[in-house]
Amino acid sequence: MRNPASIMPGLFTSLFYLILFGNSFNPANLFSSGGGSQASSVLQEAFGGAPTYITYLASGVICIILVFNMAFGGIDLVLDRQLGYLNSLLTAPIPRAAIFLSGVAQNLVKVLLLGVLTFIVALVIPNGLELPGSFSALSFIGVFGAFIFLGLGLSFVFTALALSVRSIDSLVAIVNFLTLPVMFMSNAFFPPSSFPDWLKTIANLNPVTKANEAARMLLINGSLNSSQASTYMWDMVYLIVFATLLGILGYLAAKRALRPE
Amino acid sequence: MADIITAEGLTKVYRGKVTAVDHISFQVREGEIFGFLGPNGAGKTTTIKMLNTLASITEGRATVAGYDVAREPGAVRKSIGVVPQELTADDELSGTENMVLMANLHQVWRSSADSRIGSLLALVDLQDAAGRKVKTYSGGMRRRLQLIMGLLHEPKVLFLDEPTLGLDVQTRTKMWQYIKQLNREKGLTVFMTTHYLDEADSLCDRIAIVDHGTIRISGAPTELKEAHGGDIITLTLTNDRDDLTAFLSGIEGVKSVTRDGRVYRIKLPRTEKALPSIVAGVVQKEAEIEEISFSKPTLDQVFLDVVGKSMRDEEAPQSDSAWENIKMGRAR
Repeated sequence: MRNPASIMPGLFTSLFYLILFGNSFNPANLFSSGGGSQASSVLQEAFGGAPTYITYLASGVICIILVFNMAFGGIDLVLDRQLGYLNSLLTAPIPRAAIFLSGVAQNLVKVLLLGVLTFIVALVIPNGLELPGSFSALSFIGVFGAFIFLGLGLSFVFTALALSVRSIDSLVAIVNFLTLPVMFMSNAFFPPSSFPDWLKTIANLNPVTKANEAARMLLINGSLNSSQASTYMWDMVYLIVFATLLGILGYLAAKRALRPE
Repeated sequence: MADIITAEGLTKVYRGKVTAVDHISFQVREGEIFGFLGPNGAGKTTTIKMLNTLASITEGRATVAGYDVAREPGAVRKSIGVVPQELTADDELSGTENMVLMANLHQVWRSSADSRIGSLLALVDLQDAAGRKVKTYSGGMRRRLQLIMGLLHEPKVLFLDEPTLGLDVQTRTKMWQYIKQLNREKGLTVFMTTHYLDEADSLCDRIAIVDHGTIRISGAPTELKEAHGGDIITLTLTNDRDDLTAFLSGIEGVKSVTRDGRVYRIKLPRTEKALPSIVAGVVQKEAEIEEISFSKPTLDQVFLDVVGKSMRDEEAPQSDSAWENIKMGRAR
């Protein structure tokens, strides 16, 4: 993190997503030439009452930024192994769990910082994220609370994966295989109500969908009514269970990967 | 002196088929510099990895500082410092910051860490560059920093894997000085690997020559040279009228004589003792000496004798230089 430039590529990605996706895929554009107010109100309903498409899209983009950067952040760990740095950690009298957890924490902090930056970018671009008047500091904590548990779960998986593979090539292959379905089988870009049933089922099990649902509700509504609050609670429970399970699996995999060769 | 490292029948088989180290046994005494000398792929790094707890032991047993490597890896890690072949200092941090990081990894806290960092940096003449980012360092400076990064917790044994790989001759000589100084001033036991014969010769108290995963011979460099090479006198006479082989072989202190026309090669443990009698004998036989020269033995001769091929016939060292280049490239 000494080198602030290292965060720039990630930031550009979020800008691209927000500006390009936000404008080219904006469903409202389809109806702008005389579609009338009826079409746009239907759309607004499908998009959970979001005033702009980017308001709908913002939390999805943050989730995707989380997934991708977390996944490719593992490249640094593979390099650490190949350059011999990991060995100097392994010969130091530190618990193996600490080596795993420091990787998890480092990845999480880096990626969450990028998430906050993406949030700010979405706020400042024209036609961007429009927060409701009732959006408070507590709502902000609620939004990032969902992202933190999603990020933690992802960080467990991808850190353990990066420690287990021996080459960047194989890491990239596995990561590509994992990230694309996770991204598209979710509500990141479009509401699952528009999906076929089989995809809807998968999308609803995807932790990205849960984090996104929770964060998006807060971004659109600011404060939640009681049914929204219970949805939020269940989403969080789902995410915490998800993070815990992956934490256990990740730890076991990392312990195996850090054994003497 | 007590043995600080012991290995009994130490064996490493990778994936059930590649035998990297094959039943080696040796002891390293406290306070000495012990060198593993051998060509690339001889099993040097694998041995060091087993002693460092980085590689599991397939068969046999090893102890470091009194702890069993397989059963008490944590205690072993507390007692050792490891300087890997690779350069692992963080380019984006300064020399001091890298040292602080290592201090934290080894649970050496602020109060004692600060003074140790200062004195170690001074020991390898890096105090002036300590505040600069490591990416501005030369290859030699990086190696020096690497050398002291493993010493903050004041280990009993220091493991050095090819400490001067890729350095020029002058910088290498300087590195040897630092290693000797650490050994003498801090009483540090050093276990090192090298494929440089001159490095093993001038730095190590005792060496073991390894090839194909086995120890072929071990002992002090001077001992080995005396046993396997000895001095060689090359005696050239003005003519080849008489055969003096039998006569020269009879002189006290001469081990063997080979003749090639006018030229005799006389092997003997020490030139100084036998030289006068050789010269006197030749004169007495009424032969005329055209030229006489003698050479001190080198480890290369020992190596040739023991392994059956010269170290110099081996391929050029490749090691992980590709990665080192990348690392250097990143730095620029």
